[in-house]
Amino acid sequence: MSASSSVSQPHSASPNRVLLALMPAALAALTLLDIASVQPNRIAPGQGLNLWAIMGPAGVLLAMLPLGVCSLAWRATTLRLRWALCLVVLAMIALPLGLAAFCRVFIDPGAPYARVGLAAGFWVLLFVFMLALIEFKASLRLPHGSWWGLGALMLGAWGLSLASGMLDKLALMQEYLGRSDKFIEALLYHSLLVASAVGLSLLMGFALALAMRRWPRLERGINGVLSLIQTIPSLALFGLLLAPLAWLADRYEWLAALGVQGIGAAPALIALVGYSLLPMTRNTFVALGDVDKGVIESARGMGMSPSQIFLQVRLPLALPVMIEGVRITSIQAIGLAAVAALIGAGGLGTFVFQGLGQAAMDLVLLGALPIIAMAVIVDGLLTALAGALRQGVRHD
Amino acid sequence: MRSDPAILGDSDLLAWRHWAAPLGWFAALGVLLVAMPHLGALFAAIDPEAREPIYRRDPFIDLLANHLLVVAGASSIAIVSGVSAAIMVTRPWGRDFLPLVSQLASIGQTFPPVAVLALAVPWLGFGGLPTVVALVLYGLLPIVRNTLVGIGEVDPSTREAARGMGMSPSQVLWQLELPLAAPVILAGIRTSVTVGIATAAIGSTIGAKTLGDPIIAGIINGNTAYILQGAILIGVLALFIDSVFARLLPSQR
Repeated sequence: MSASSSVSQPHSASPNRVLLALMPAALAALTLLDIASVQPNRIAPGQGLNLWAIMGPAGVLLAMLPLGVCSLAWRATTLRLRWALCLVVLAMIALPLGLAAFCRVFIDPGAPYARVGLAAGFWVLLFVFMLALIEFKASLRLPHGSWWGLGALMLGAWGLSLASGMLDKLALMQEYLGRSDKFIEALLYHSLLVASAVGLSLLMGFALALAMRRWPRLERGINGVLSLIQTIPSLALFGLLLAPLAWLADRYEWLAALGVQGIGAAPALIALVGYSLLPMTRNTFVALGDVDKGVIESARGMGMSPSQIFLQVRLPLALPVMIEGVRITSIQAIGLAAVAALIGAGGLGTFVFQGLGQAAMDLVLLGALPIIAMAVIVDGLLTALAGALRQGVRHD
Repeated sequence: MRSDPAILGDSDLLAWRHWAAPLGWFAALGVLLVAMPHLGALFAAIDPEAREPIYRRDPFIDLLANHLLVVAGASSIAIVSGVSAAIMVTRPWGRDFLPLVSQLASIGQTFPPVAVLALAVPWLGFGGLPTVVALVLYGLLPIVRNTLVGIGEVDPSTREAARGMGMSPSQVLWQLELPLAAPVILAGIRTSVTVGIATAAIGSTIGAKTLGDPIIAGIINGNTAYILQGAILIGVLALFIDSVFARLLPSQR
């Protein structure tokens, strides 16, 4: 699967064609598209400003940056690529500072509702720089720690600028500042919903996988039902759960007292667990079955009891693949919990759909960007955890 | 459902008995479409408070056709561009781009489809277009990823042997690499289409006319009957399309 292993190491002095293709795109974004816009209030479309309108002739200097990376990438020796990486990292650090300066200059302090919107040029630039960083990571073999360091540097620059209030005039921040309590609450609630769905499905998936190992005839039936659930689109499953739950809550007061309703967290949690069961059960089942028979034999030879073998040998060896199941499930649940906002389950999706309803695009961003960030972070952490466990298993 | 362990040959693939599940779901979809408007009494019993038990703003058949059009349009663009992109970066002249494209496809797949859908709106406005664009962007990823995996899994010695027999690079691609990778590519297309059907339904919230409309209208008006009608149709549609893929694909495990 690892694609990079099949790449032939390019000759050190040959051009890096990926960077040579990316940087003109960055140049085009800088020169042809609007970078930011000034909006008089929340809903009114802003007036877009391009680099020339923002910086005048000095903007030419900024446009030199992609050209500089290009010239370094033309003969891509390791040293020159490192310099190019420095340029891109510096640009990423300078980006929030530049935005802060823009906010100061272009927003009239006397206009309380005026705000700065980020325009297409900014997003394209950010995207191209991300692609460039991925390319650097593939072609420059730096020690692992240095990538974490560079990442921390770039995220730190953004975090500090946001926390210091320099970027408060950004429309996104204005939306946040207007509802920071609700935002934190939604973030926590979203995480809680995802965590309980993943936790519940971990337990149930484990039980189902054990049952499938014990009674092999169950395997086909369980797999069939779980993949059937997985096939049904989320909106439809939420809808299908809504009616019966509303009916049950109507009929049995104790259910209603428990918080079961047609609308809200109950159908969301049930649907999330339903979707999570297939990847969780499948991965747990495969993981438990994949353990080398020789290892089990030798454990038995050492006089371990069946339950000791299961807890001390089979389970630890199966853990990395099970964590892969947790990873898939969590990412899926983070996205589905956002859809669940439609049926009143709360969470970050609320902002997305509220924003769509009010045509307030920055509110949409306030919901969507943290959802994406959450998914990417969980993905990274669990991948790293599974990797570390695999290493540990190999070294023991 | 997907029970036959054997890889189906061409002649088997066309045998009627293998198409029982897809035909069954297709028939169910047809019956539901025709019968739904006449089930007013039933839905009135389910949701007695509803003022109007049957969703009538658009005929269900129109919603279904539009839903399919959105998914089919987006999927065909995603299939053509995704497979071509993966082919390009596995040729000698495009290999420099392989790590980037492969990384991008796997990072992008962690993005929740709803978020991609929502982000298309500030860029393209409301309506069918942002839905199609979001479906294409998101649908590309599993197709690119699986095509890369499929081509990557072709044994290098097989490729060598084909070259040794005097096959041209394009013959190697069309007669060896793509046929061998086809099941994996098809599995990617299946994932992409499944996500597409679900995301198109959510597209109703940004103004695409799909089977999600009755559900959204039902949620807004507190009309459980509308929600059920939309949910049942989308569910059966998804099961029908999936059963077609289940027939085309050799059993997975």
